[in-house]
Parts: sequence; structure tokens; C-alpha cells
Amino acid sequence: MNKPCLFASIFIMTILIGCENNQGKLFNNPNPEHTGIHFSNNITETDDLNILDYLYFYNGGGVAIGDINNDGQPDIFLSGNQVKNKLYLNKGDLKFEDITAEAGVEGNSTWNTGAVMGDVNGDGLLDIYVCAVVGINGFNGYNELYINNGDGTFEESASQYGLDFDSYSSTAAFLDYDLDGDLDIYLLNHAVHTQESYGKADLRLKRNFQTGDKLLRNDKGKFKDVSEQAGIYGGINGYGLGLAISDFNLDGYPDIYIGNDFHEDDYFYLNNADGTFTESLKKHFGHTTRFSMGNDVADINHDGRPDLMTLDMLPEDEKILKSSDGEAGIQVQKLQIERFGYHYQFTRNMLHLNQSNGAFTETALLSGVAATDWSWSTLFADYDQDGEQDIFISNGIPKRPNDLDYINFVSSDQIKNKISNTKLVDQQALEMMPAGEMHNYVFKGGKDLSFDDKSKEWTSMQKTVSGATAWGDLDNDGDLDIVTNNLNGAATLYINNTNGQHNYLKLKFNYTGSNPYGLGTKVYSYHDGGHLQYKELYTVRGFQASSEPIVHFGYGITENIDSVRIVWPNKTYQILTTIKTNQSLTISPQNPKPFNFNSLKPKTKPIFEKVENNLGIDFTHAEDGYIDFNRQKLIPYQISDRGPAVAIGDFNDDGKDDVFFGGSKYKSSKLFAQKDSVYVEFKIPLIAKDSIKEEVAALIADFDNNQKNDLLIGTGGADFFTEMKPLLDSYYLQKSDGFEKGQLPENFQNTSVLRANDFDNDGDLDLFVGKQSISNDFGKIPSSYLLENDNGIFRTKPNKVLEEIGMVTDAIWEDFDQDGIKDLIVVGEWMSPIFLKNQKGNLTKSNNSEPDLNGLWQRIIPFDIDADGDTDYLLGNWGTNSKFTASKEAPMKMYYGDFDKNGQTETITTTSKKGKYYPLEGLNELGGQMVSLRKKYNSYKAFGGKTIEEVLDGYKILKNQIRIVHNLKSGYLKNENGSFEFIPFENTLQVSPITAFLKFDFNSDGTEEVLVGGNYFGVKPFMGRMDSFSGALIKDENNVILGHELGLQMTHKSVRHLNIITLGEQTYLLITYNNEMAEVYQLNNKK
Amino acid sequence: MKKILAFWAVILLFSCDKEQPIVVSADDLHNSIDHITNIMIHDIFSPPVASRVYAYPNIAAYEIVAMADDNYVSLSNQARGLTTIPKPDSTKTINYQLAALIAHIDISRRLIFSEDKLTIYRDSLYSIWEAKNQKEFGNSKDYGIEVAEHIAAWMTNDNYNQTRTMPKFSVQTEDPSRWQPTPPAYMDGIEPHWNKIRPFVIDSASQFKPTPPPPFSMKKGTDFYNEVKEVYDISMDITKKGDDSEEIEIAQFWDCNPYVSVTRGHLMFATKKISPGAHWIGIAKIASKMTNSDFNKTVYAYTKTSIAIYDAFISCWDEKYRSNLIRPETLINEHIDENWKPVLQTPPFPEYTSGHSVVSGAAATALTDIFGDDFAFADDTEVAYGLPIRSFASFNQAADEAAISRMYGGIHYRTAVDIGVKQGRDLGKFVMDNLKMD
Repeated sequence: MNKPCLFASIFIMTILIGCENNQGKLFNNPNPEHTGIHFSNNITETDDLNILDYLYFYNGGGVAIGDINNDGQPDIFLSGNQVKNKLYLNKGDLKFEDITAEAGVEGNSTWNTGAVMGDVNGDGLLDIYVCAVVGINGFNGYNELYINNGDGTFEESASQYGLDFDSYSSTAAFLDYDLDGDLDIYLLNHAVHTQESYGKADLRLKRNFQTGDKLLRNDKGKFKDVSEQAGIYGGINGYGLGLAISDFNLDGYPDIYIGNDFHEDDYFYLNNADGTFTESLKKHFGHTTRFSMGNDVADINHDGRPDLMTLDMLPEDEKILKSSDGEAGIQVQKLQIERFGYHYQFTRNMLHLNQSNGAFTETALLSGVAATDWSWSTLFADYDQDGEQDIFISNGIPKRPNDLDYINFVSSDQIKNKISNTKLVDQQALEMMPAGEMHNYVFKGGKDLSFDDKSKEWTSMQKTVSGATAWGDLDNDGDLDIVTNNLNGAATLYINNTNGQHNYLKLKFNYTGSNPYGLGTKVYSYHDGGHLQYKELYTVRGFQASSEPIVHFGYGITENIDSVRIVWPNKTYQILTTIKTNQSLTISPQNPKPFNFNSLKPKTKPIFEKVENNLGIDFTHAEDGYIDFNRQKLIPYQISDRGPAVAIGDFNDDGKDDVFFGGSKYKSSKLFAQKDSVYVEFKIPLIAKDSIKEEVAALIADFDNNQKNDLLIGTGGADFFTEMKPLLDSYYLQKSDGFEKGQLPENFQNTSVLRANDFDNDGDLDLFVGKQSISNDFGKIPSSYLLENDNGIFRTKPNKVLEEIGMVTDAIWEDFDQDGIKDLIVVGEWMSPIFLKNQKGNLTKSNNSEPDLNGLWQRIIPFDIDADGDTDYLLGNWGTNSKFTASKEAPMKMYYGDFDKNGQTETITTTSKKGKYYPLEGLNELGGQMVSLRKKYNSYKAFGGKTIEEVLDGYKILKNQIRIVHNLKSGYLKNENGSFEFIPFENTLQVSPITAFLKFDFNSDGTEEVLVGGNYFGVKPFMGRMDSFSGALIKDENNVILGHELGLQMTHKSVRHLNIITLGEQTYLLITYNNEMAEVYQLNNKK
Repeated sequence: MKKILAFWAVILLFSCDKEQPIVVSADDLHNSIDHITNIMIHDIFSPPVASRVYAYPNIAAYEIVAMADDNYVSLSNQARGLTTIPKPDSTKTINYQLAALIAHIDISRRLIFSEDKLTIYRDSLYSIWEAKNQKEFGNSKDYGIEVAEHIAAWMTNDNYNQTRTMPKFSVQTEDPSRWQPTPPAYMDGIEPHWNKIRPFVIDSASQFKPTPPPPFSMKKGTDFYNEVKEVYDISMDITKKGDDSEEIEIAQFWDCNPYVSVTRGHLMFATKKISPGAHWIGIAKIASKMTNSDFNKTVYAYTKTSIAIYDAFISCWDEKYRSNLIRPETLINEHIDENWKPVLQTPPFPEYTSGHSVVSGAAATALTDIFGDDFAFADDTEVAYGLPIRSFASFNQAADEAAISRMYGGIHYRTAVDIGVKQGRDLGKFVMDNLKMD
């Protein structure tokens, strides 16, 4: 068919099938009358079988797409829970024929679940494996294996293959984990264990037949359960719902990611290449989904590494969000982790990007895909064929059992007697739960980690309960179509109308022996001079489903692909060059050469390399147990965890710099002296004795001009309050006979930063003391101040601007107006960077920065990032990967005041959603502090969707009681002839708060770079854990290298300071973390 | 049509007759309190907070009764901080019992959350009363509300609002004896600052500070270990006997947990019951009805009982967050049987002393003071919650059973029960000795 003809026929076809609805959308949904697909997974609730008796009553059936008769047209198999399975033969033109009866695949089990296609016996014909739940609720049967006879009939042969499990199966996946050439199976089972008590995480160690997952090795057509010897968990608490196969660590052997519902951790099995796996979740993931559902794998950022998305159930809609049971409290989370041994889990979707150092970075909030309600299946594919991966997410639940009004106010009356007497809930009680039909989501992938919700533009937004989902090119027009298996409704076909507007390539494989479809094959596609796309052929994706066994790429308007590298499962490869787009190719191995997986690893030695003995600096910062949210229940983040302080300087008069670490509350500080080959801890009794304070800032300098270094320590911690002595900063003067305490003016607010400078030009070091907060009164503006040095004695120098400058976090003395005198720039939270011009020791505000630039600024450093000869200022902010959102048009607002007049101020943080402001916290949290709100809203429904103005209606709000943030992005103030414009960094630098900068010529190229560190954990569980920044080296505006490529291990740790230290002639990097051991790296500073 | 006309005629007749006196009976008060109890169940008040919701409305009503009836003595200058209520306008005819009930409802309205549920009830009563005798109703209402304002002003200063903003109980798992949140909801410790609530009669929250529990040790053979083991053994024994065993019936009967959370997969719900205090308020109602007590005596009985319960919670919670003792469920799961579940759901606060024991001891002492010892009664308080009627020979017998029920329920050790009920009785006696109400 030539192109015009193709277009014409597509045009006609579009008219033909597009007439039902959705004209002009990317996807249209032909109706069952047209397609012949009438399958509807109807479930019937009875008094003894419903959501109360079986926790996964609403999980739905399965769907598999594959060409069972090798006629080039993919067919569809749908499994039903209580209804019979259906097999539909694709007759072309989107007409399907129900051949279930002739094929003999309608199934015999009481309750079928996932359905997957795979060539189990390696005869080139797709077989069908249908999972079932058996042995509870009177469910009979077993997992059925339909072996394809090649003539439109199938033979159920599960027992012959050893696959007739009568357990609680969700789904299964095909993989050749031992690379012996045939397909093995991972069988995913689900627990029915009580969710009422967590139990210890090590419950997973004891295998249980019904609930435990199984790895089944294919021994010449007979599957053997090798789970135990292979290191696969199979306990009674594995609520397995998500299953992804991928060679995550790119060593040629497939690895496995398992998503577990409820409190059980997900499992990340790395293949040891010897027939065994090592579960390694905690080592590689900082946090995961909590109620893990389906998942999928694809390389979304073109780095050749498979990334992972896993789903949860966070609602997007404010009304649903505020009336659904939310995240656990911080103390319960601690209990789960510290006492029961689980990992950090949060209720929202996660997008885990695979980094070169093995640590995953999680960006769902930044990427805009975190909240898609009660989500089951996620499928990556390039639906619009623009060269970027898009996402389709199926969604919905017949009844919302986590509705807070139902839980608290409705259920009791309805269930009370029934439950205690008969253990049954009647239909009437179930009807009281709100319905949860929801449209499916589709996101268009963009560059820079962003996804754009196109549900409205691309689909009909029909409200359904869609579960298992699979893709395939049903109409053979090159683009990918989707089938969803729906509860109580006909299966939906999403027919893709891209139709050649963008170019594609479809690859099928004709691989060897027992794996003719070539599962496990990797494909690297390069176009437009180095634009990489990477895919791996695994069919089991999403949730309880398998997609067509093909690899599909989109190319936008590019017509020719530079090259395609195929890496076969047996670690050989071949390269195809100059391939035209818009075709389907079937590739067989042809003179493949051995593939060296080491070639995927970085070729150059990274700049940084961890020093094994840490140079003797054995310092582990340990936070005290204080939780800010226990006292100030509504504050947006903690202030007690900003330590430890670090200062470098010679302390023992030997001419070598030593290292001082501040202690956290009730823990003493530590000093390490530089010796010839290592650092050695030493104590100055006077300083070591002072262990009560939380030390967050420190300075080593000679303040009394006696040629001996003194020590100043800034104290914070926010635990001590009012005028408690441990809130005072410390000052130790070194005299000829040792240290003595110096005097400082009294101030009981929490210090954040100390910066020395002889601002009055009298020959001694004066000070700026930055204050971050006032204990128990978060939101109130503390008073920062200047201290004037008079022979080592400091006196406050009054300055009106500094007294009300804001919640300060950092400052620098910088001659920003180039008059030869150092001025002061101050940054902080809920404030703009503020420039203060120094005129003979008097600091006055200077307006040369962009207006409306309030941020949650953490750090500032001068750096000529645009290499134009003047100084720009890099600014660390909160980042955009959290539930905080802010822009100049829709700033984040925090209400501060004692609104209900109970003698204690509170803060209510609000963000804008579609132009309206809603509190981030729910009714329980707000009402716990402001009881009057419990009277105002006596149901969650009444509170849900209420704006902050409505919530606070009736309370007097003054203008100065609203704190503002316009911008959360880190970036830099670009110096344009002395006036400054803010330029945000790219998204990879917005994944976490930036908490440290260090300028140095790390690679010895003669120019300085800035090393950036970040991550911060002091937020409530509903905010998650901002642990995903691996650090970065900024060379210039356009040249940023992320930390995972630099040899650094900062991911999942919260950086506080970056320092250069020396030992002998060598320079080293010292990274100081909060609540973690400090690390020393050597610089491999060859150019 | 004729019938309808006749009906309206009757209505008209009644509404025209403005001189009909309004009679407020003890039953009106019982009904009102029952109604408030139901709203409290709906709104979910924890046991200590529930005791406050009962006490203030009763005192408001009682002060009006005492103002009008010489048989009763005002609580002003007896209940801490309470001053004499405003004197009524002698030129106006006031129905004091009506005013008392109106004040009772008004204070209750301020204390519960779901006001709409109470205002509907109130307005229907108001319209009946108004129809009967607009003037009498108007005068009584004005006075009732005036007194309610007085009581509310006093109530506002009891530190309740301030305690809302005080720190949460901090969980520290390093200390093995320290209380931890318990399954299934793992709720934060409830009301850690209830000892800062102003008591009515006792000198301070710590006045009846009990002896400490046995020193914590999970070494076999120690007193503490034996107590843990005893809870486990009793539980295993009675579970074997089955749901019909006397012990399990006793445990269920006295459960009085306002919020039992149930989780089945993603389905969650709560079964809600009255609180321990509410159960004893229910017994006060039974005794009042059995003795055919008039309105004033009934107000007196409710008030005295609810004052004892209120102070008992303050005393008990003072000890709970002093000893911060870990619950049997946590220790048994950790050391003896990881699958063990108590017969009753463990309530979300520290173990020592048993709240139900303290409150039952105090309430029984108050009721014995009012109605006498050996007052036999059939307790049908829990029938509405699907539980049977239990009969008792005396209030004290009921209190002893309530106390031991916590061991059968697997949520308390023996010391918490024995010492708890004594703590309650000592406190109750002090309250009786120091209150001059009749």
C-alpha cells in the first residue's frame, strides 16, 4: 500500500469506527456492537461473598493480547471472576469473533484472576495461563494452562506442566531467569493475612503454599518450584499485586520487582546470575508505594536504563482526597520501620528512575503522575509516537471502602449487629459506601521528566471500573491500542488514531529454540544523531495482564532510524542500520556477536571515590527522638533537624586544619585533629562537656586577635523553648593556657547560620547571626542580628531590617555592588533573597533582585555560572518534587496565628489547585488542633473540597498572618549589570531540597565548579520523603553532571554540609549528613 | 375532610390555651441525656472527653434546681472555680425544672460536635413548650440560657482548649516498658494531658496517685512477667471455653469502647459503643427510675455521679501518663505469642491504672451514697449494642465485675484492675465527703 492510499484507508477507517464517540481524540472507543467484544466482568455480591469476605473482591479479571493463530492480527483473551473467560479472534477491521467455546478456554475455576499469554512449550504458538484464587470462600479449581494446538483449539494441560496451582494467585510472568533458553515462570500470589496488626517484616521468611509467590523453573517442560533455593520470599504477608520483569541492573540477567499491597514492603529481586536472587529493596529504593498495585517498566529519560512506575491509590479530586482515609501518622510510620522492620512506604504513585549507581530516584510528584485515584494498571508506551513514553493508567473501584464517613459514621449503625452476630455485611451496608467509578488517566510524556495529563484531550473520560489492561496493535496500523477489562461493564477498546501522523517501528523477534518470541530481548534505537530509546521485550506488564509480544517505538517526524542494536537474551547482539520508520520487522539472530554488558558501565573513572577508612573521621550524626509534629502539629516541616554544624580550622596550633562536628541534643560535639596519615578524635573538655545543645552552625576563627582560633556555635533544635539556657549560642575563646567561655548577648531563638566579616573595617571579625525560628511558635518572624566585635567581646549592633527579615537559613558576605566593601545577602524560608548594602558598617536594603521571589530558600553561594565575568548567585530551594506547589500566579500560602484563641498559634499550609486554595492537611489534623472545626464540619464530606477561605470563615485573618512562597525551584540569580534575574535549574535538580553548595575546582581544569547536595526528610508521611537527589556538579549554565555519575552516594541521605578537607598534600571531599555517618571522598582529579 | 378540620380545631384550641402549665418530668431529662449519649457515640468522643460532656450540663441543671429547691445545696464554691449562678428575676414566673432542662441541653449543645442533631431535638421540645405556655417557656428559657452562659464561662477556663494544643504522646520504642500504639489502628495515645484539666473536687490530679505497678521485667518469674503471663493464660483459657463463657460475656458487657476499628482488606469500619462513663450514667438512670425519683432528685443523682466520674478520669489519666505502661497485647505478641489477639480491642492509651476500674469504683461509690448499698438492679444499658442484660446485687458488685472484665478482655494486668478500683473508691469517697449537695 502506498502512502496516500494508506492515509485514505485510515481516513475511511477512522470515520467508520470513530463515529460512535470521541471524535478528534487520540483514542476512540468503538462499541461492542461494532467489535463483537461483549465480555463484561460482572460480579455479583452476595451475603457471603463480598468485599468483607474477600479483600480482593474488586480486583477484577485479566486480559492478554497476542496473535494465537499467527495470522498477523493480535487476538484478545479476557478472564472473568465469576463469568466465563472469552477468547476473541481478530478478523481485521476491528471485528472480533468469539471462539471461546470451540477453543475450549472458558475455564473451570470459580474465581479467575490474571491471564497471560506466552509460548510455554516453545512451539511458536502462544499458550494462555489463567490464574485463579482457590481454597478460600469456597473457590474451587486451579490455575489453568491452555496449550495452543495451532488449529484454534487449546488443551488444558496445567497438571502435565506442573502449573496447576490451587492457591491465591494474582498473575504470572514469563522470564528466562537462568538464561538456559526456555521460559520460566514467576507466579504472584496474594496474602489474606490480617491487616489488623503489622506483624514483623520477617514473616516473609517463612514460606506458605497458598499465599507465597513462586519461582517456577522450566525443566524440559515440567515446572519446578525453586523459590526457596532461589531466595524468593513466600510468606503469609505478601499481598502481591504488581509484577515487573526487567534487567534493572543491566547485567544480562532478568531481575524482578514485586509490588505488595498494605504494610508489606515491595520486593526487589536482583538476579545473582547463578540461579538465585537477592532481595535488595532497601538498598536501592529510598521509599516505595504503600498500597502497591500494578506497575510497569520503561526507559523514560533516554539513558538506556529501565525505569519503574508503581501505582497506589491517592485521589486527585479534593473532595475524594479529604474524605478518604489517608496516610498514617509519623509515629506509626516510625513504629513500622524501627520496630517491625518495614521500609518507607507512602500512599501515592511512584516513578522510580534508575540511576547509574543503582540507587533509584523517585519523581512522581515532580512528574505530575502521583495521584490517579484507585489505580490498577499502568502501561508505558509511546501512544502518540513522538519519541517519548506516555502512560495509561486504569482506574476505579465499585465502592470506596476507605471513605472516612463510612468508616466513622455510617458503618457502625449498619454493621454493628450484623458483624458481631453473623460475620456478614448485608447489601444495604455496602450500598452506603460512595461509588468510585473513575475515568482512566493518560499522560503524555515530555522531556525533562514531565508528564502532562491528557485524559481529557485524548480520551472520552468515560467513568468505569477498569483493572487489567493490555496493549497491542489491534488494527495493524502501527500505533498501539489498549484493552481494559472492566468490572460490571463491557471491556473497553481504546483505538489509537495516531495513524501515521507520527512515525513508528514495530519489531517482532524470531528467536531460537524454546523462546521463539524472544522474551528478554533488549533493543537500543538511535535516531536524530544520538537520540536513544531503549526497550526490553517482556509481555507481562501493568496488572494481571500481558501485552502483545512486540517492541514498539515512536519517532515523531523522523523518517529514518540511524541504527537499532538488538541484544538477544543469550547476551549476543547485532546491529541494524538505516531503517525506515513505519514498518513492522521480524528479526532473527544473524551473526550475533557476544555483547559485553560492562560496556554499559561508565567508561571514565568518576571524579569522586569513597575513601575506605574515611580518613579516621568516624562521625555519625544521630538525631534525638524529638518530633516537631508532636508539639506543633500543623507546621509544614520540621525545624529540629537542621544540624549538625561543621567547621574546619586549626584547633591545636599545629598549622593543620581540624574538623569540628556539632552534636545533636544531649549528644556532645566531636573534634577530629589532622595528623600525618589520618584524622584522630580529640577532646577539649570544656567544649565536649557542653552536650545539651543542638548545634547547627559553627565557625572557627580568631575573634580576639590573639593568633589562636576560637569557636562559635549556633544553637537551634526547636525543642527547648521560651528562655531555656540550652537555646543560647556558644562561644569558646582559645587563650595561651587553653579554652575559656566567651560572652555573647542573650538570644533564645533558633540560630541557623553564623557568618563572620569585619563589616566595620576595624580589624576584627564581626558577625551576622541568622535566626530561623522561635520554638513552639513556627511562623513567627525571629530577629536576626549583627554582632560587633570589640576585642573578642560581641555586642549587638541594632539593625531594623535584620530584626524582621524573616526565617533565615543562610547568608553570605558578598560585594555585590563592587564598591570594594562586602555587603550581605540573606536567604530564608517564606522570604525572598535579600540584598543588604554595607555602608561603613550600616546595612541597608537594596532592591536589585527580582520581586516576588519568596521561596523556601536553604542555601546561597556566589558563582559565575554563565561565565560572563560577573558574579551570579546559586540558590538552593525546596524543589518541586513534593506536595508543595507554588508560582507567582498561585503562590503557596501559610496562615499563621492563634485562630481559635486557645493560647497557641497554629499554621495552616495551603496550595492552589485549579485556582482555589485548599489546606494540605485533613479534618482530623486541623480539627485536632482547632476543635471548633469539628463542630463546623461534622462529616468528612462536608469538609472535603472546602477552600481555606471557607474553612477559616469566621476567624479574623490579618494580612500579616499569611506567609507566602512564590517559587519552590532552585536556580540562580543571574547578574545582568548588577540587577538580578532568577533562572530556575532543570528538573533533575528539583527532585529534593538543595541543602548544601561547595565551590572548588574538583576536576583540576583550572576553573571552579559547584558541587550540590540535598534531600530532606523532616516532613509528615503524607508529604513523603524527599530522598531522591544524588547531588550534582554544576560546571556552567548548560553543563550539569548528576551525583550518581560522579561516584557519589548521596541518594537517600540528607546532606547538610559539603567541605573540602586536606590531609598532607591531598584534598578530599567531606560530606556531612543528618542522622547518618559522614563520608570522605578522594578526588580523582585528572582532567 | 371533616376529620381534618376537627383535627385543626383541636390544635387551634390547644395553642390558644396559653395558660397550660409546662410539666418537666424526670423522664424528659432521661430522654435528653439518652439523646446526647447517642450523638456522642456518633461524634466519637474518647472516654475522658465524654466524661466532660456529661458533667457540665448536669451541673448547669443542678445549679438551677438547687437555686429553687432548698433540699439541694449549690455547688458554687464546692466545684472548683464555680461561682453562684445569676439570681432569677423574681418578677417573672419561671419553671425552674424547665429552665434546668433548657440549660442542660444548651451546655450539651456546646460540647458535642454534631449540633444539628441536638438542635432538631431541642427545637421540637421548644415548640411543644411554647405551644403550651409561651410566657412560662419564654421566662424559663431566658433564665436557663442565662445560667448556661454562666456555666459556659466557667467551663471555658478548665484548660480543655489549651490541652488540645499540647504535645502528643511521644512514642519511644527503645524503652521496652513504654506504651506503644496497638493494633489495629495504631492510634496515638489519647489525651496525654488530661491531668491538666481542672478537677471539680479533688485537690489535684495526683491526689489519689496509686502505688506504682510491679517493676517492668520480662524475665520469667518476676511479678511483672507473671502478670503478663496471667493475662495470656486467662485469655487462652476462656477463649477455649468459647464465646458463651461467663468471662467472655463479662468482658464484652463492659467493653464500653467508643471506637472499635475493624479492617478487612481495604474495607474499614468502626463498631461504636458508649464509653465507661456513659455506662455508669446509664446505671444512674436505672436507679433513678427504679426509685421513681423526681426531676430534682434525678438531676442530683446524675450530677453527683458525673462529678465523681469526671474527677476519676483526671486521676486515672494522671497515672496513665506517669507510668506510661505498655499494654499486654504488645508484650504478649513480642514475647509469648505473635498471633495472640485480646478478646477486646486494646484502647489507645497506656495501661496503668485501668480506666474502667477507676471510673467504676468512683461511680459505684457515688451511686451507693445516693441510693444506698445492696441496691439490686438489672443493667440493660448495653442492650442497644447487642449485649444482654446483667443483674447485680449492688453498685459495688457491678464495679468489681467491670474491673475484672478488663483482665478477661486481655487489655489489663491484674494490678491495674485491683489498684484501679481502689483508686476509684478512695477518690469517690473523698468526693462524697467533700460535696455537700443535700
